[in-house]
Amino acid sequence: MIPFQFVTAFLLICMGIYAFLYKRNLIKLILALDIIDSGIHLLLISLGYRLENGVLPTAPIYTGYETLKGTPMVGPIPQALVLTSIVIGVCVLALAMALTINAYRHYGSLDINKLRRLRG
Amino acid sequence: MKNDMGLIVKTMARATIPLIGIFGAYVVSHGHLTPGGGFQGGATIAGAGILFLVAFGLNEAKKRYDKNIYSALEGLGGLAFLGAAMLGLSVAFFYNILWKDKIAFAGQPGTLLSAGYLPIMNLAVGLKVFTGLVSAMMAIALFRRWKK
Amino acid sequence: MNVLPFLIIVPLFGAFSMPLIKLISEKFRDIWAVIISAITLCVAADVFYTIWKTNQIIVYTLGDTTPLGKGVGFPIRIVWEVDLLGALIAVTIAFVSLLAIIYSLEYMKYDTGLDKYYTLILILELGMLGIVITGDIFNFYVFLEIMSIASYALVAFRNDTWEGIEAGIKYMFVGSLASSFILLGIALLYGQYGTLTMAYLSHYITREPTFVSKVALAFILGGLLFKSGAVPVHMWLADAHPAAPSSISAMLSGLVIKAGGVYAIARILFSIYGISLNIRTLGWIVIFFACLTLIVGNAMAVVQTDMKRLFAFSSVGQIGYILLGIGIGLAAYGTKVGQIALAGAIYHTVNHALMKALLFLVAGAVLHEVGTKNLNELSGLARKMPLTSFAFLVGAAAIIGLPPLNGFASKWLIYESSALYNPFLAAVAVLGTAFCTAAYIRVLFTFFGKESEKVKEARDPGKAMVIPMIILILAIIIMGLLPWQINDSIMLPTAKMLEESGKYVLAVLGG
Repeated sequence: MIPFQFVTAFLLICMGIYAFLYKRNLIKLILALDIIDSGIHLLLISLGYRLENGVLPTAPIYTGYETLKGTPMVGPIPQALVLTSIVIGVCVLALAMALTINAYRHYGSLDINKLRRLRG
Repeated sequence: MKNDMGLIVKTMARATIPLIGIFGAYVVSHGHLTPGGGFQGGATIAGAGILFLVAFGLNEAKKRYDKNIYSALEGLGGLAFLGAAMLGLSVAFFYNILWKDKIAFAGQPGTLLSAGYLPIMNLAVGLKVFTGLVSAMMAIALFRRWKK
Repeated sequence: MNVLPFLIIVPLFGAFSMPLIKLISEKFRDIWAVIISAITLCVAADVFYTIWKTNQIIVYTLGDTTPLGKGVGFPIRIVWEVDLLGALIAVTIAFVSLLAIIYSLEYMKYDTGLDKYYTLILILELGMLGIVITGDIFNFYVFLEIMSIASYALVAFRNDTWEGIEAGIKYMFVGSLASSFILLGIALLYGQYGTLTMAYLSHYITREPTFVSKVALAFILGGLLFKSGAVPVHMWLADAHPAAPSSISAMLSGLVIKAGGVYAIARILFSIYGISLNIRTLGWIVIFFACLTLIVGNAMAVVQTDMKRLFAFSSVGQIGYILLGIGIGLAAYGTKVGQIALAGAIYHTVNHALMKALLFLVAGAVLHEVGTKNLNELSGLARKMPLTSFAFLVGAAAIIGLPPLNGFASKWLIYESSALYNPFLAAVAVLGTAFCTAAYIRVLFTFFGKESEKVKEARDPGKAMVIPMIILILAIIIMGLLPWQINDSIMLPTAKMLEESGKYVLAVLGG
């Protein structure tokens, strides 16, 4: 039986792709990009949860060296990957918001079917 | 027309903005021990800045925002990050020379003053993220060119 | 070996210190950008010369002297691994970026907000240099995103015109979706094999290829074909490359679709997946997309009336040649025909970067002086702007493939290898060249025709815009006079080093 983390991540990615293909408002398209990114981040983080000698791992909080030597923790590498990816997602989101405001100024509407002056 | 958010919101904002700032500083500086670090703490402190902009209105925020100082601080944060990475360039790029040769920030692993150049990099990234996000929010709020 | 990190440190230092330099004066900010990119060109040339002389792969670890952990046998640190292909493309990137920055000293004189422009152009160069020297697959994704975000912002730089905003929105949505697919492929690979270093992934995949690795290859290849402008997904290229300022168009069309698209496809297919999958099927899939790209790209270029849009569609067509070379190199792996095809593809990458940069700089000069891009109003330009028309003549002749210039050698290698492999592909390639010739001859007839009203007060542009065009003309002519020496001494060893994925793996794991 597939663990439910991967099924949820896959459902999030599918919902994001559906919204990206079928919605017309620019802000809904930006939210769809963010949902796809959230699905991939969930997939990456749930790869770090591994059983070690049958003991369930805990969160990686490292204060106090002597008391925690020997407690298994979740894998730290996927957390670093997801952190980098979240920063990249924030940058793309900020740039998309700025461009949407400019598009409203020039075209007067947020419908993506109206942005069709470049053709040929 | 006043464009702030009323007396109740302003009083609560006066109480919570310093607390958000302190919590953000805790998240930034304990980046090598607990979950947190440069980007997360910087985004939290930027939340305090945005709360000020929303609760007190654009005119109050314009009086306290200077574009050139925020831009220069952002560049300074980036240069501090690059400088800390280049300290151990004789062995390799990003070599943790402060921890391996016990020069500074070298205590027991698990205490606050440990892990070499990591606290310096966390502070530099936190400063850069805070100034960058507040500058972006002020630029979007000040963008009123079509409404004459 | 110890100048390699300076290839990343110098542009990063330049980009971070630009807001501080702006406070001193405005003129110094322009000169600072030129100084930084000149130093980057020297470092890139030094790295290329070292690798070419010793014929060995440079491996550089971040954080310590060896990538292997303490007491274990597998790499745990981020590794930078440069072979001859990476060094060659790095030199091309640094050279064309320097020329684009010198050109934009005068081209962007009337725009405001120029400190953000120079910061973004240095970050674009940094992202591309990072992609070609890295040996770790997540580090590759981070540099790919740095390059993409800088190019989205630069395409929409002139935000008081509707053209830049519409092109920027379309480019950004499609590019973000493609990057998400690449990240999904990388996540699947990491979940299956547990490592991120490219050499160690190759070692694992050769031993046990599973179903998940094939699905990951499909996602990564789909995302990278988006980024390089292959045919079913090429529509963003026709809108984004004309709408950007012309010096940025030169960098986008000449460098971004090569470093972030075609180079990445070659690296992933040859060095990571190597000979573990059924390589004839994979080669034929790439050849199929390449044939579509050749026909559609060059054919759409014939019917355009906008000069920069014609150049953008011609870029799509030339990417078809490079993908054809890579596809034949895969399908005929291990034989002499495959090696010649791969050498032709690499040679065409370098050539097309120079030629397309020259053409877009010419288009920028025309736009700056006359004020319009419409070919119907630009007739008779040759009498008023002689140097610009001569530059266009050299560039168009090089792209068509006329003999004394450098386009001839790389196209000849692709024709020869495709004719030896399967004559149908050679027929498709020649058909593409026929369409390309038709498109450029049309523009040439327009330039040498009768004068129209708008070009009556046009003149040759100023010094800072003319010097990069002259340097590119000289480079094209000199490279055209010695084609076989360049082929034997640089391109064939590059193709050989790319094919031996065993050496790539041993450089990290062996030492």
